[in-house]
Amino acid sequence: MRSETTDQTERRMNESPEQKVTIATEGFIPAEPTAEAVMRIKGMDVYYGDFRAVKEVSIDFARNEITALIGPSGCGKSTVLRSLNRMNDLIPTARVEGSVFFHDRDIYEAGVDPVEVRRRVGMVFQKPNPFPKSIYENVAWGARINGFKGKRGELDDLVEHALTQAALWDEVKDKLSDSGYSLSGGQQQRLCIARAVAPSPEVLLMDEPCSALDPIATLRIEELMMTLKQDYTIIIVTHNMQQAGRVSDRTAFFSVDVDDRGQRTGKLVEFDATDKIFTSPGQKETEDYITGRFG
Amino acid sequence: MSVDAPERRLADRFPTDDEYQTLLDTRTRRARLFQMACLLALTVAVVALITLVYTIVNDSFGLVAVVNQNEPADVVADLGYDPAQVTLSELGYDELVGLLEATVSSGVGRRLEREQRFYPDRLVFEPDDSWVELCASEEPAVGCNSGPRDQANVLALVQERVIRPDIIATNQLVPSIFDPEGFEAAIAAGFEAGRFPDYELGQVGIEWRAWFNPTFLNTPSSATPEIAGIRTAILGSAWLVAITILFAVPVGVGAAIYLVEYARPSRFNEFIQTNIYNLAGVPSIIYGMLGLAILVRGLEPLTSGAIFTQGVPPSDNGRTILAAGVTLGLLTLPVVIISAQEALKAVPNSLRQAAMGLGATKWQTVRSQVIPVALPGVLTGAILAVARAIGETAPLILVGAASFITVDPTGPFSKFTALPIQIFQWTSFPQEEFRKIAAAASLALLILLLILNAAAVILRNRYARKA
Amino acid sequence: MTTDVIAKQDNGESPFARRSRPGETVIRGLLFICGAVSIATTAGILYELGKESLLFFQDDRVSLWGFLTTTVWQPQVGGFGIWPLILGTMLISIIAMLVAVPIGLLSAIYLSEYASQRVRSVLKPVLEVLVGIPTVVYGFFALTFMTPLLRGVFGTSTVGFFNVASAGIVVGILVVPLISSLSEDALAAVPDSLRQGAYALGASKLDVSVRVVVPAALSGIAAGFVVAMSRAVGETMVVTLAAGASPRNFSLGQDSLFGYILNPFGSAQAMTGYVAITANGDLSYNTVDYNSIFAIGLTLFFMTLGLNSLSRRFVKRFRQEYE
Repeated sequence: MRSETTDQTERRMNESPEQKVTIATEGFIPAEPTAEAVMRIKGMDVYYGDFRAVKEVSIDFARNEITALIGPSGCGKSTVLRSLNRMNDLIPTARVEGSVFFHDRDIYEAGVDPVEVRRRVGMVFQKPNPFPKSIYENVAWGARINGFKGKRGELDDLVEHALTQAALWDEVKDKLSDSGYSLSGGQQQRLCIARAVAPSPEVLLMDEPCSALDPIATLRIEELMMTLKQDYTIIIVTHNMQQAGRVSDRTAFFSVDVDDRGQRTGKLVEFDATDKIFTSPGQKETEDYITGRFG
Repeated sequence: MSVDAPERRLADRFPTDDEYQTLLDTRTRRARLFQMACLLALTVAVVALITLVYTIVNDSFGLVAVVNQNEPADVVADLGYDPAQVTLSELGYDELVGLLEATVSSGVGRRLEREQRFYPDRLVFEPDDSWVELCASEEPAVGCNSGPRDQANVLALVQERVIRPDIIATNQLVPSIFDPEGFEAAIAAGFEAGRFPDYELGQVGIEWRAWFNPTFLNTPSSATPEIAGIRTAILGSAWLVAITILFAVPVGVGAAIYLVEYARPSRFNEFIQTNIYNLAGVPSIIYGMLGLAILVRGLEPLTSGAIFTQGVPPSDNGRTILAAGVTLGLLTLPVVIISAQEALKAVPNSLRQAAMGLGATKWQTVRSQVIPVALPGVLTGAILAVARAIGETAPLILVGAASFITVDPTGPFSKFTALPIQIFQWTSFPQEEFRKIAAAASLALLILLLILNAAAVILRNRYARKA
Repeated sequence: MTTDVIAKQDNGESPFARRSRPGETVIRGLLFICGAVSIATTAGILYELGKESLLFFQDDRVSLWGFLTTTVWQPQVGGFGIWPLILGTMLISIIAMLVAVPIGLLSAIYLSEYASQRVRSVLKPVLEVLVGIPTVVYGFFALTFMTPLLRGVFGTSTVGFFNVASAGIVVGILVVPLISSLSEDALAAVPDSLRQGAYALGASKLDVSVRVVVPAALSGIAAGFVVAMSRAVGETMVVTLAAGASPRNFSLGQDSLFGYILNPFGSAQAMTGYVAITANGDLSYNTVDYNSIFAIGLTLFFMTLGLNSLSRRFVKRFRQEYE
């Protein structure tokens, strides 16, 4: 698939009826919500106090695709990711302006409980952070607090299913009552993935999930992502360009504007199909980053 | 989406959107209740503290119903002044001494003069020749060598010996401010009920009394609560603290220096460290028992001062300030060691290595590089440990603080009392007036501790900013 | 050549020979003695407590078996069972823990999970003040405020003038900072990444605090509980002033369990109270009374030693998890 020419890719994209995702670049806001986009960011600014960390971001995230957010450090990728499940609320000075739509509901509307958002939008963090509980409890906990009604046997099935989806079941099936900390780094991260998918979210956010892992563990998780995207919409922040190129369907490239006071504000430079970004990017900044001239 | 049968079954087991909403509402409500419970707990703790301070202050001031044996107005009038113009405290020194002369017995007067003279150039009660003989003897009276009394001193004596107030009822601060009539009514009712058979209602004066006042701090203890003060106790505490510091700070800091700078990790040094932690957790009363058995009893020749003097030892037993001070020193020693260790460990290792690299010996490094940097922390820890020692009562009971003593301590071999002991004693008596002076003494102790702790905090902050 | 420079010194010794430094040795010795004072203290405590206890048990009227098993302490009639005094200590300590644990732990959770940095920096020292107030002042507070309060609320016929509840509640207030401070440190040491992971799963603050952070900090919190208990057991002045001056002698089976033996509103003497009152009176050396306080003291020493060792084991386990 990757040997197609750029032209062929573009035509394929414009012709296929299922994937009607509007591509947004800086300043361009789509006219109306697109049916197949699970989440949409629309004209979003994120402030920490008076400091504007990210400005005017608009991205559509398509169902069952992997979208990667890439860019140099400090350009606000993680901030954008964390505004998708309202984790920025935990920082007292953080403020979001603009809208983030989950299906057709703005999650930043008054009256929306962030707890509810996080039920549907799960997260995996940079450093594996399993709870100091057993492997079983780690996976079951999220389901339990979200009101899982099943009996004990059904909970067992849920745990098995989640661990299987995370490609960890075979390795831990005999030691479910061992502590989560008894696993290796890569296994712990897969445990965190299992934990995140157990409550059946629709979207899975991954914040540089492999940066703390060795290359072999990284590869396993990348393979995992390709399987997971059949059931979930995945949005991943990564420092690793090659990783974005390997796994993602669409890529958003962020960079930094420095104003005259020296304040660095992140901005979305370009958002497009991964193939296009990496072979013939529309913006010069993108091309400079891809080819390693900066960042 | 690849949904196989088990997954569809499991997906059903999650709540629907409506069910989830209800669940979420319950969870939110429970979370808010929990937060309120936590805040309530915190409030209870703070309220308890405020209540404690309030109780003490409430008892330290207030109205009293007092009957004077001789009314100040009458006394002033007898001297020829108009009581509306002149009060007792405005009388001249000579007039006050004259009042004493006229009222007290010669025996009491001579005793007072021997404690402290009234005039530097003439005697009031004692005949001249016996005074000279007294002062030339082997044990001259205290008044032979000290300065004469002053206005305040003699005024207090006049209060005690001539006016002779007797407090028959007391009231707390808050009711005194907001409902003084209630107190008057209660007194009247008390007289009707026959509670004060010695007096008439007309003799009673109602006046404001600050049980905690500067005179209180400077008056020796007494069996009569109306005129008792805490000077003896404060001096006793001061002596104790001095000995505690002299013992615990050098030994404690020395031990800390040894453990942090010199000791190599070994089973023995590990044992010393564990031992110190254990000692820090031993109840203070057990230190009292240690002091009683070893210092008071076993080392009686030392603590009573017998080995330092030939002839009559300064004290007839070991229950002296020296024994009590060393006991308190042992009590605070583990705490001083632990806090000094923390201060020493906080000194960056790069400093030591730089000094050693220049060829300094261990002691040179410690003395001129490490200790100066660690000094503020060590001092703060010492101040806090001493603050704790001042409030300790149980060990002093064991080591034999005197139950009743009115003479100021004069040296390490004196009998003694201390501020917490005085509070303990007065609290155990049931009469209202003792409750009042116990409260006033508690207030004094709390203020003293406040000053000490504030000093420690200021010290810590000043040096933290410098660093 | 540089080797020429490293010549021998005038006295024939090689230039890097170790010089003798007697001053260093002396100083090291002095410092070691300072450290050894602590060992001497422990040795002294054990020796004296042991020696006098031995004398106590050697008295004809006293037997170790009786000490450990009988439930009457009345020296005049030859009763030397320690249980009434332990009963007093335990009643007070348990009431103290019932007061201090909820207040201390919930306050710690509030300060650690809910309060802003500014509020925490003000309230944490305020709580610390509670443990700095001399215990004799707490005793005054128990007698002049707590006892009248209890008698007012429950009636003067139910609540005696000297009662265990008043002393217990005040001791509880006294040890609240021990629990709140240690628990708060333990909660703060739990890495924030655990909280983030829990929030991301859709947990509320209550879920995160109670179901993730507190269990993670459990050994640190337990250490705080045990330290507080140890302090309550060793407390003297409050129990001497407010709890009572005579032991609550009892006999199992004859006395009502909840009406008398465990009654919080009656008076009882604690171990520390007994020692203080006995020593405060006329006490001559080598009497049974004198020796008895050491036997009680020895028991007290082992109780608090056990509790403190337990708490240190908890702290070690907690440090292993997070450092």
